[in-house]
Amino acid sequence: MMSEFKYHRPENITEAILLKRDLGDAAAYWAGGTDLVLQCKSGKRRIGHCIDLTALQDLSFINAAKGGYRIGTLTPLSELERLNADTPHLRTIRDVAALMCTVQTRTIATLGGNLCNASPSADLFVALAAMGAIAQVTGLGGTREVPVDAFMLAPGKTALTGDEMLTGVFIPAPDVPHASAYRRIARTVVDIALVSAAASLTLDRTGEKINEARITLGAVAPRVIRATGAEEMLTGRPLSDLIGTFAKEVGATAAQSAKPITDIRASAEYRKNMVAVLVARCLISVSTELEAGL
Amino acid sequence: MKIRLRINAHTHEVETRPNQTLAQVLREDLGMTGTMMSCGEGECGSCTVLVDGTPVTSCLMLVGQAMGRDIRTIESVGTAAALDVVQQAFVDEQGFQCGACTPGFIMVAKAFLAENPTPTEHEASQAMSGNICRCGAHPYIVRAVLNAAGILAQQKGSEHEQSEL
Ligand SMILES: Cc1cc2nc3c(=O)[nH]c(=O)nc-3n(C[C@H](O)[C@H](O)[C@H](O)COP(=O)(O)OP(=O)(O)OC[C@H]3O[C@@H](n4cnc5c(N)ncnc54)[C@H](O)[C@@H]3O)c2cc1C
Repeated sequence: MMSEFKYHRPENITEAILLKRDLGDAAAYWAGGTDLVLQCKSGKRRIGHCIDLTALQDLSFINAAKGGYRIGTLTPLSELERLNADTPHLRTIRDVAALMCTVQTRTIATLGGNLCNASPSADLFVALAAMGAIAQVTGLGGTREVPVDAFMLAPGKTALTGDEMLTGVFIPAPDVPHASAYRRIARTVVDIALVSAAASLTLDRTGEKINEARITLGAVAPRVIRATGAEEMLTGRPLSDLIGTFAKEVGATAAQSAKPITDIRASAEYRKNMVAVLVARCLISVSTELEAGL
Repeated sequence: MKIRLRINAHTHEVETRPNQTLAQVLREDLGMTGTMMSCGEGECGSCTVLVDGTPVTSCLMLVGQAMGRDIRTIESVGTAAALDVVQQAFVDEQGFQCGACTPGFIMVAKAFLAENPTPTEHEASQAMSGNICRCGAHPYIVRAVLNAAGILAQQKGSEHEQSEL
């Protein structure tokens, strides 16, 4: 049973933000509600006011933009899963969305909810952070951008302040070869990741050298983190180095960035070991895609 | 709060509270107990209904979120005297034992077959993966979906022939 709360249904963003300003911390923006219902039912969370975003359907979109793509915060996972993906990052997003939740919860669970819920194991969060995605945030003070890798501060805590609302993300699609991949280990398909990793590589114009490497890890720290040591190993290296044992070495370095805990789902040691495996698998997948020139 | 819901092509006025889920309102306020509630956490799919044609776990949807949408429940599918093709296929293939999960499976199957009338076995089992049958009838359920797809295709074919004549 969820405890009692008041219900508000704003018709546009401004109305929603004004409500949040007036109602403060007692109010929660309500997107799909797939995280919120469970939190309210279990009593982990008590809210005084629900600001239902259902009427803000103009925040559900996937659009090409200058230098990349914009995806609206209310876009359900089922739309991402159906994405006619013609760029590498969109393909990764499509594949990540397809492995989340279940058929009939993907129809309501939103992209923005996955980011704002700020779980260190949130699948899309880990993938978007690796791609260098930027969160678009709007409040009464105006609009600002926060890199997704800086959007989570602690479990359940984001960089959003006061009345601020996430409106969407920008995903870069640079005009040089780039690719990304995400891998997770979960007990069952509906369980959340017990450990996960994503990798994104951007090459130079010739397509031979790694210009930028971003590696993110899920469920191994109080927030989604970057494996900076592993990223440094990759930057400036020829792509062809990823054939052979180098991917494994990078994975082992990434594992050193992980600060996991032991909990009901897995031991810290297992998580650390699996980081090495998952990062290596991501890198092999990314380099295969880049070598094939997809 | 008083709200209006459009369910199975009828408009219902309900006096309810904002913390109620669509599943609760369907079962407790409207007496439409065909929609089952089992885990209440979106994992088992028993409570699946169609909202604007797409399957949704009604245990996770606030009743307010359902306002103004087209909701279809198992009560709109077939009658005892004339079962829907999908229902008949579940009977023929023994796609259930106790039946508690069946309404959820049927609603997902209906939405799936509307979108993909010629599924492979793999596609059908993926589509049914958000529902749990605790009796373990999953292989039979997938067969039922494929069987229903075949019959629907035949029906369509003969309709087509008739209109050619
Ligand atoms: C059966 C099941 C399986 C699941 N499987 C997975 C899985 O495999 N992987 C995974 O990562 N997650 C999983 N989840 C968790 C959940 O479905 C996802 O995190 C989903 O993306 C949340 O989106 P939502 O729209 O439902 O969020 P909501 O529950 O509506 O919101 C989540 C939080 O974000 C806030 N919020 C939402 N939108 C905004 C906004 N625009 N601005 C500011 N704050 C906002 C809310 O106030 C709330 O605190 C699962 C959940 C269920 C029930």
